Amino acid sequence: MVNLTIDEKQVSVGKDATIYDAAKAAGVKIPILCHDKKLHPFGGCRMCLVEVEQMKGRLIPACTTPVTEGMIVRTVTDEIVKARKLVLELLLLKHPIDCPVCDAAGDCDLQNLTYEYKVNTNRFVDEKFNHAIDYDNPLIERDMNRCIHCGKCARICDEIVSYGAYTFINRGIEAKMGTEFDGPLNCEFCGSCVSVCPVGALNSRPFKFKARWWALNKVKSVCSYCGTGCQLTLGVKDNKVLTTVYDENQGFHNGQLCTRGRFGYQFVNSDRRLTTPLVRKNGQLVEATWEEALKLVTDKLAAAKSAPASAAALTTARLTNEELFVFGKLFKETVGTDNVDHSAGYAHEALTKGAKASFGITASPSEIADIQKAEQLLVVKSDAYETHPVIGFEINLGVKRKGVKLQIVSDKKGKLGKLPGAKTAVHAPGAEVALFNALCASVIEQGLAVDAPGLAELKGSLSAADAQATGLSAEEIAAIAKEFATAEKALIILPIGQGYPGHDANLAQAAANLAILTGKIGKEGAGLLIMGEKNNSQGAADLGIYPQKGGLTAQQIIDGAASGSIKTLYIAGENPVVSYPNRAKVEKALDAVDFLVVADLFLTETAAKADVVLPVVSFAEKSGTFTSLGRRVQNVRQAIKPLGLAKSDFEVLSTLNSALGGARYAKQGDVFAEIASSVAGYAGLTQAKLTDQGVVVPVTVSAKLTAVAAKTPAAQAGKFALVTGSALYHNGTMSRFGEGPMYVCPDGYAELSTDDAAALKVAEGDTVKLTSATGSVSLKAKVGKRVPKGVVFAPYHFGEASINSITDGAAVTFVTVGK
Amino acid sequence: MIMPLINGLKITLKHMFSKPVTLQYPTERPDVAPGFRGLHALNVSHDRAKCVACYLCPTVCPAKCITVEAGEDANHDKYAAVYEIDMLRCIFCGYCVEACPVDAIRMTQTFELASYKRADFTYNKERLLEKK
Ligand code: SF4
Ligand code: SF4
Ligand code: SF4
Ligand code: SF4
Ligand code: SF4
Ligand code: FES
Repeated sequence: MVNLTIDEKQVSVGKDATIYDAAKAAGVKIPILCHDKKLHPFGGCRMCLVEVEQMKGRLIPACTTPVTEGMIVRTVTDEIVKARKLVLELLLLKHPIDCPVCDAAGDCDLQNLTYEYKVNTNRFVDEKFNHAIDYDNPLIERDMNRCIHCGKCARICDEIVSYGAYTFINRGIEAKMGTEFDGPLNCEFCGSCVSVCPVGALNSRPFKFKARWWALNKVKSVCSYCGTGCQLTLGVKDNKVLTTVYDENQGFHNGQLCTRGRFGYQFVNSDRRLTTPLVRKNGQLVEATWEEALKLVTDKLAAAKSAPASAAALTTARLTNEELFVFGKLFKETVGTDNVDHSAGYAHEALTKGAKASFGITASPSEIADIQKAEQLLVVKSDAYETHPVIGFEINLGVKRKGVKLQIVSDKKGKLGKLPGAKTAVHAPGAEVALFNALCASVIEQGLAVDAPGLAELKGSLSAADAQATGLSAEEIAAIAKEFATAEKALIILPIGQGYPGHDANLAQAAANLAILTGKIGKEGAGLLIMGEKNNSQGAADLGIYPQKGGLTAQQIIDGAASGSIKTLYIAGENPVVSYPNRAKVEKALDAVDFLVVADLFLTETAAKADVVLPVVSFAEKSGTFTSLGRRVQNVRQAIKPLGLAKSDFEVLSTLNSALGGARYAKQGDVFAEIASSVAGYAGLTQAKLTDQGVVVPVTVSAKLTAVAAKTPAAQAGKFALVTGSALYHNGTMSRFGEGPMYVCPDGYAELSTDDAAALKVAEGDTVKLTSATGSVSLKAKVGKRVPKGVVFAPYHFGEASINSITDGAAVTFVTVGK
Repeated sequence: MIMPLINGLKITLKHMFSKPVTLQYPTERPDVAPGFRGLHALNVSHDRAKCVACYLCPTVCPAKCITVEAGEDANHDKYAAVYEIDMLRCIFCGYCVEACPVDAIRMTQTFELASYKRADFTYNKERLLEKK
């Protein structure tokens, strides 16, 4: 610790601190323009000048100067104020001062400081800039006339996002923040640069001119897309969510979001939202009252009580914990069926079966904070960046700031592989389990294994065939195994989701085996992090929303509906028609089922088939809790009133439950208390304890090695291996109702390698026809170096030309590709 | 007792022979002082309202009677797609005029604002635009 004096206040801080950090710790505010706590010190604006007794004679920038013992710092003297005024005058010299029409007004550092330092006149005169404004992309408007050259946008895009879209171009007075060849911006549109821009040079286009900053009501909540569980602040006005507001003090991610979280909020107030219940009459869905709709549902469910095996319920993992709890009560206890499942069944098995078998819990033994504490990361699939972009930022930071070594094992290359020192081992499609088995075998062979329960059984199950199936060389496998085993702290990162049927219980167990075998469980910065796809995937697993007493899984429910054994089906928010494999089969099943109820925000492809459609609300219209990956339980807060007649799933399910003779749950808070008392791991939690940060629920792990057989699909001659997954801009099928994501990525595509495209004479944007044993679909081609030869990648989110019309639940689908 | 009476009569008599204060409204019209704060008008320049929809007037308005909604025009510039004042709530304080950074709004000498219908007291942009 270093002791120093700032404005007569004694403070002691760590030796890495700067004067700015020390002042902050002492409660002294030093004005800044170019500094950001997330970024490396830059020292470009000179707004933070202070006086240091020991360095008299010149003013010192607080944000870049490290503290030394006994420093005496003064932050406000006449000379300092004069210098800061000069800085502002020089900045304002070229600045257009169009505050009346600038969306940053009210939240603009330059405006605030100009006011604070009373800079009313300017000693200098000069012409203003006349840069063309970039209106060419749909999400970020760039007005470089307003730029104050703080460099934050370029630094965040480089240091944290690792995209590198910006850099200063030209010199001297001509210098400006430029893009590639000074062209229009075309990047991942995460909006991080917009967030940190201290002025209005970078603006969010979807929010352009929608409201002034001070008129927004700011409500802290949690993102409702992926399982990362980023905290966000909704900007609300007139019962509308108009934007997401950046708050650098939110969450482990310091307020940074990905493109979905930042620009995908428009689904909340979309015109396409359902605002009234619909009931099918004469084959048509017509508007109805809640009484009528709920009566129909109650009657059918009451009838099903006598034959519970004929009823089934599917839900999305987007519901709150409280809603899922009531969902479980309603169907498992009141109706009495165990045919209850979520996330297509297979997309939660890594947690509910895999982690359960290996660790005895339905959660990961590690948490998000472990990523930056690790020494070695082993990421399964480069797609981890697309499925969980903000976890991707954590990985970027770990690699670039903390020197974490990164190994990726994937069926394609990806952005993470471009990080410094990162290695990507591209294995045969569908060979993940085989690869982990081969890694385990190699660890044992190299004598690096530790003893653990189940070792003998595991040893007996490993075979040399696994290494061969991966398509990687023995040396490569040995090197990966050695690096992982010898690292003091090594963490495996495994994304799961509906687009990844191969990431199942087996893969989770195989990955767990490697972590256990190398003694990585129970240590900080090590272990296995399984990343659920949706905002509450972890919660749904914890609450046991899957068949536990021999009931049907989601896929069996679909089969049952098709065969007629399932007669009543309640679907909450899930969209099986698009997101489940084999669309034709799902459609047939949903058409065949006697009585289909869908509770959703939109008239989705699935809801269109329902007999009763119940309009429910988005995360912005309800309160509750979500559990993010790594088991952080966080508060979701209601920001607006429900749209139209829509009700929360909580209200709907609770009404149904009491109408059918179960308990009536009036308050979501009471249910949280019940969850805390009945769900393993949540004991002792109260909503008050969650505060703004949320609480990471501790896990007790009893690790065990389990033998898993790899079923690597053999390559088929003349056919391409189709692998599905997530696109960066989407998550599930809900992001299709947000304008932001749809501006950037409106349709599905099939990604081919450059070599294959050349052989097929296909160019970017051409239509290609993929045909599998299940069906065929025509998609736009995307050509690049990401996927290897013989592999096609397609995202699964889209309703039209849905890739799931040709899949059938296998990790790899073999297809022919033609024009 | 008699003196106050005489004084009173003096005043009465004086007024009987001086110019009357009362205006025979509406046949006679008052002289409205230049600083009078009557009905608002939106100033026009280059054939369009000067208002850039900065929202400062609705922010400052103590009666919360101004509604502004900004729009983006073909040149990507900001303009007031909606500008409305609810005259029933306006207290004619003039803060809106003071707040406007672009001199887009002023208060005129129009004071005859009575109307038969409540709706007529909502002055939209069309009605507020200064008449040439
Ligand atoms: S939006 Fe994200 S990726 Fe694009 S330039 Fe900004 S920080 Fe970089
Ligand atoms: S665009 Fe904004 S963040 Fe980037 S350098 Fe200019 S002022 Fe700074
Ligand atoms: S990473 Fe996930 S939780 Fe975070 S902002 Fe993106 S979609 Fe939302
Ligand atoms: S005069 Fe005063 S009360 Fe009337 S609109 Fe202007 S600010 Fe509001
Ligand atoms: S203050 Fe002036 S420019 Fe701003 S909204 Fe009001 S009238 Fe328009
Ligand atoms: S904040 Fe220190 S130089 Fe900009």
